[in-house]
Amino acid sequence: MESLHPRIRLVWIAQWILTAAVIGVVIAAVDQWLVTIPTPAIVGIVAFALLAGVAYAILLYGRWHFELEEDALYLERGVITFVETAVPFVRVQHVDTQFGPLERALGLSSVVVYTAGSRNADVRVPGLTPDRARALQDTLRELAVESEADDAV
Amino acid sequence: MSGPSRTSSPASDPSQSNRLHPLSAMVISLRTGVIGLSLPFFFVGILSGVFDLIDITWSVTLAPVGLVLGVAYGIAYYYRFGYALTDDTVDVGSGVFSRRAREIPYRRIQNVDVRQSVFHRLFDLATLSIETAGGGATEAQLNFVSEPEARRLQQEIRRRTRAVKTRRQAGTPPSSSRARSEATDQGTTRSPTPDADAVAASTETEPVDGERDPSRREFDPERAETDDQPERADESMVGPQQPLEGEFTLEDAETGLGTETELEPDPFEEDSPSLLFDLQAKELLLYSLTTIRAAAFAGLLALVFFFTDQAIAILLATAEPFGGPEDLTTGTSTSYLVLGIVSAVNAVIVTYLVSVTYTFATYYDFRLGRAAEDFVYERGLLQRYSGSIPSEKVQSVTITDNPVQRAIGYAGMWVETAGYGPDSGSGSTSAVPLAEDRRVHRFAENLTGVETPKFDSPPSLARRRYLARYSIVATGLLVAAYVFSTLVGVQYWYLAALAYLAVPPAAHLRYVNLGYYVGRDHLVIRRGFWKRRTTIIPYYRIQTISNRRSIFQRRLGLTSVVVDTASSQTFLWTTPTVYDLNLEDGRQVARVSRRRLQDALAERRRDDESGPSFSVDFT
Repeated sequence: MESLHPRIRLVWIAQWILTAAVIGVVIAAVDQWLVTIPTPAIVGIVAFALLAGVAYAILLYGRWHFELEEDALYLERGVITFVETAVPFVRVQHVDTQFGPLERALGLSSVVVYTAGSRNADVRVPGLTPDRARALQDTLRELAVESEADDAV
Repeated sequence: MSGPSRTSSPASDPSQSNRLHPLSAMVISLRTGVIGLSLPFFFVGILSGVFDLIDITWSVTLAPVGLVLGVAYGIAYYYRFGYALTDDTVDVGSGVFSRRAREIPYRRIQNVDVRQSVFHRLFDLATLSIETAGGGATEAQLNFVSEPEARRLQQEIRRRTRAVKTRRQAGTPPSSSRARSEATDQGTTRSPTPDADAVAASTETEPVDGERDPSRREFDPERAETDDQPERADESMVGPQQPLEGEFTLEDAETGLGTETELEPDPFEEDSPSLLFDLQAKELLLYSLTTIRAAAFAGLLALVFFFTDQAIAILLATAEPFGGPEDLTTGTSTSYLVLGIVSAVNAVIVTYLVSVTYTFATYYDFRLGRAAEDFVYERGLLQRYSGSIPSEKVQSVTITDNPVQRAIGYAGMWVETAGYGPDSGSGSTSAVPLAEDRRVHRFAENLTGVETPKFDSPPSLARRRYLARYSIVATGLLVAAYVFSTLVGVQYWYLAALAYLAVPPAAHLRYVNLGYYVGRDHLVIRRGFWKRRTTIIPYYRIQTISNRRSIFQRRLGLTSVVVDTASSQTFLWTTPTVYDLNLEDGRQVARVSRRRLQDALAERRRDDESGPSFSVDFT
């Protein structure tokens, strides 16, 4: 089983810091215009959001694994709800590599695998080095073509 | 285009591209005219409020201009809308200022629906919709054509889809293989929509400058020439009713088509479709009486919203004989209570009646048939629907029943495709609205080829889980009642504790209706009490398979297996899930499903697409 790049934790933590900042701004706005909220409460909420986010990011990193099995891409992830998903190669419609601004700043990339399914139709593998992402994309594409059947849609 | 000469396809020759029914020009321009008329009032109204320079009276002078422009746009839209059937694709060109030429390959088409409202039926018209997998909307809609033309198109699309398939199997597939590579190419470069395959299927070309001649630019002639296989003589393309010069007039519809489809055209008498199932009067009545539609309540709410005063008057009038208040301001707390109870009963009864009427009108004269490898169906009292579904597009089959239907021994059957059908905005189409459950189960078994399932149950730990879950709900109810009573000052809030009495039976009923069966070629999943669904999924149709364990499930060592197929589901039809298995069992289900998917694929490769599939003749 392959783990994600450790730096993905920084990406997730940074996302949480941004979220906490937004929450802080919203609460401050409410405090300003609607109801007075004691400053310690605001600081407490923001600090809690931050801590929870950091803990979540670290736990999620520990939980995230993926593997190319014989017939399918297999992934394990989740903190509150554990999810194990198998995406058979024949069902892969196409594969993207993507990166958001944060990932880009930290030199990471994601691979997104699309199926024709209705729920969980796109499966994202985050936290890969750009080389690893490209390699994974190529492998998946080859495996998908190799095992190509009628696409059953 | 009645001869066998096939030097040009309709797509390459714009004069062959068909127009909508002339009456639709009137309807469209009427609509755009009204919009054009009202826009000046709207904008001048707003702008005059902001700028002193602009006077509200301008709208009166601008409105006629808007009307003319609107009508002109509508007429232009009509003249610039064209459709044609080629050997490989359905082509639709539209747009006044920016052109859109859409080509839908036959093999991507999920279902073809024909809808007739009352207005349409008066003038012998119909709206035709073509669905492909994925995408939020209908891929192509012809709104509207003459009714015989709609029937012809429906049949013609079916026939050509078959022809394409035969060609592919005969081993001359340059066009279809091209379509495939095109689809994959586009898929990788396209926007990250989950259903990009289907999106890629309906190839859109760049909008063409609006000033150029529309008909010339509509479709790419080169494509058609390089692509088309030599046409066999028997494929006489379009049939005798194909109008010349692409003009389709009402007279054509009456004279040219009258011979073949007189007045009441019947899909079960043409193209030699055979009847598989028709809904008997008794079944229709039972179905109407035993089905409750949430939409009926929503519709009622909307009505009450618009006619609040009338609705209150009616409610007061019905409550008065039972001791209700005379009006909303004078009344005692008892009379208000009476009003509340009577109104609630009133609402339930009216909703039920609306729901029964709706179901009756929708499924009146329901018939399902087969035409070659396709299902065709027809239904409706005032508004007629007819549709066709290629059997190879069916993703899964679901048997539904509610407690009342179970008590009288009836059930219904639905087939799920990846397109959006006319029912409930999802890919589910009713194949058998209601029939005796023995029959329905036999149908489902014949259709899918599944052996009679022997259901396994989740471990009884699962029942404990539901007990806990529903207790939490009951506690929430109790707290809500307490809070409400302290706010309003009503006594007896603790009566809400009665909800706890419902917890054990509810947990038990949920548990006993859960079941799963890991069959040879199919996975069968049963769940739900109020609306029980038994879904039969061929392993071959599985897209992804997941084990999900929430924090509560992990404590008990349980897991839910989520089996995703390509059928498009809404929030009403959740993804088929085997709930609360032991972790090891859940993983086993996933492993077995994966292995059998590979086996089925290998089998299909060996037999060249004649592996496990749906059988059309299921009755």
